[in-house]
Amino acid sequence: MLKSFRHTAALMSLALAMSPGAVAGTERCATDDTGQEVCLEQPASRIAALSPGATELVWAAGAGDQVIAVVSYSDYPEQAKQVTSVGSHTRMDLERLMALKPDLVIGWVTGNPPEQIAALKDLGLPVFSIEPRSFEGVSSTIERLSILAGTEDEGFAEADRFRKGMAALKKQYQGAEPVSVFYQVWDEPLMTVNDEHLIGKVITLCGGVNVFGDLDRLVPRISAEAVIGANPEAILAGGMGEENRHWLTRWEAFQSIDATTKENLYFVPPSLIQRPTPRILKGSQLFCEKLDDARAKR
Amino acid sequence: MSRPLTMPLVLLALASLVAMMLSVGVGSVSVAPGDVVAVILGEGSNLQQTLVLELRLPRTLSAFATGGLLAVAGALMQVLLRNPLADPYVLGLSGGAAVGALFAMLAGLGGLMISGSAFAGALLATLMVFGLAHGTGSWTPSRLLLTGVVVAAGWGAVITLMLAISPAQRLPGMLYWLMGDVSYARTPWPALAFLVLVCLLVVPLGRSLNVLARGPMQAAALGVAVRPLEWTIYILASLLTATAVTMAGSIGFVGLVVPHMLRLVLGNDQRLILPACALAGGTLLVLADTLARVVIAPEQLPVGVITALLGVPTFLYLLYRSR
Repeated sequence: MLKSFRHTAALMSLALAMSPGAVAGTERCATDDTGQEVCLEQPASRIAALSPGATELVWAAGAGDQVIAVVSYSDYPEQAKQVTSVGSHTRMDLERLMALKPDLVIGWVTGNPPEQIAALKDLGLPVFSIEPRSFEGVSSTIERLSILAGTEDEGFAEADRFRKGMAALKKQYQGAEPVSVFYQVWDEPLMTVNDEHLIGKVITLCGGVNVFGDLDRLVPRISAEAVIGANPEAILAGGMGEENRHWLTRWEAFQSIDATTKENLYFVPPSLIQRPTPRILKGSQLFCEKLDDARAKR
Repeated sequence: MSRPLTMPLVLLALASLVAMMLSVGVGSVSVAPGDVVAVILGEGSNLQQTLVLELRLPRTLSAFATGGLLAVAGALMQVLLRNPLADPYVLGLSGGAAVGALFAMLAGLGGLMISGSAFAGALLATLMVFGLAHGTGSWTPSRLLLTGVVVAAGWGAVITLMLAISPAQRLPGMLYWLMGDVSYARTPWPALAFLVLVCLLVVPLGRSLNVLARGPMQAAALGVAVRPLEWTIYILASLLTATAVTMAGSIGFVGLVVPHMLRLVLGNDQRLILPACALAGGTLLVLADTLARVVIAPEQLPVGVITALLGVPTFLYLLYRSR
């Protein structure tokens, strides 16, 4: 295996030496979210992204063309759907993955099975595991991926755009009137997020106060009773699909909830907010607008 | 061993060889049979070597070892408890192992720690049932069975609790473990060695086991030391199951059905049944795992699903035809 890597590397360095302005021979290093440093002698040209989020982030880093393997549900951007799938992120088809000869694997810290990641490392593949847990994490992941892929220009520009966009939102909503918010991640069982979760951070950013923000678990399972007891001023929910308001209808029956009487039941497309990718900027803008709407009804 | 006894074993050994060859030759990436032979002889491209030697072969051998261990453990448990419904997990061993494994997964540990924790859980479950079944009275199979079943129900509750409170992103891994999946297995050699060792150990006991299967009174009357024999079977079966569970999670069905299938076909002579179980159980799991890898590739199925889907109709057919 290693031998074939050296072989490819040699060929590639030859190609790079001929292209003007390329930095051949310098090692590219980046530290992943498990604290492990991954160094490549040449920019990664065959990237396997083992989570839908990783696929999006590699694209954001400007290295979409280098992606040769994805996993199920890698539906963004549109071009990602054309890339060969190696199964679900919880069980990859390692055989198919090896046959695609990746030179960099982007893993998901808590999403991929540790045994399979260990097997890939044993087979000599460089594995860069990511899991952005903050807005800054999204930017830095894009930057680090672009270093490994040799697309620093696009990657750093995109990271900067995201960083500035989030900073602008933060500035805009710094002194906003607080709105108590319940965010519904899942319907049955009923699930929400706490303040540590990235969506919880979006709520805070927009001047919202998450009624379940203090709970210990990142994604707590709660009862409908608890939601009624917390009496949020606004309820925001995702749903199955991009415009399915179905999950919100259950709350319409409870006239004791402020969010229901004031008609502050809002749908936010889950794909814009539930993945730690640059799309969360759009999701956050949308989220903040909904809370603005709730404030306007006071 | 007389000739009528060895013939089925030779056939089963051939079947398992064929199954293993099939398993090594088939995958989501096609490698021509000629190339597989070339790789095994030390040739072939780098990719082919990786696919066959580092991905398929260890997995195939792990599946064989796991299936063999489970089937032998099941056969021993059925003799010990004199209950046709007994399987390797009936006494709560898989529950203990599952709690250990899930605990390691919840703590965010990986690989070896999960296996180690599962093995510890299995041993804990075994010792617990063994100790409790003794109680203040005598140690009887029915008492052992009842204790085991109740303890298993307790483990089941703990597993459900752990699943309910675990973070969503860890659930898929946990469920796969519970359904049984050979892709967890890393190295097959210790389990294979253990399987061979146990087979060599129990075949000489076969005659005593045959007598024991007819009841403890008869066995005692015929000069078998019943209590020590029962303890030996219990400890052996537990160690076999613990090893299998540690390799691949709790794979159902193999341990229950393979011994019964073989008894329907070969008769109930433990000297033949036990080694036959090792071969047939291994073969069944190798075939099931091959299917699990390729049926809906690149998506991977847990092998436990396939063992049941393959085993249920086969077993029902044999049962229907038996007199």
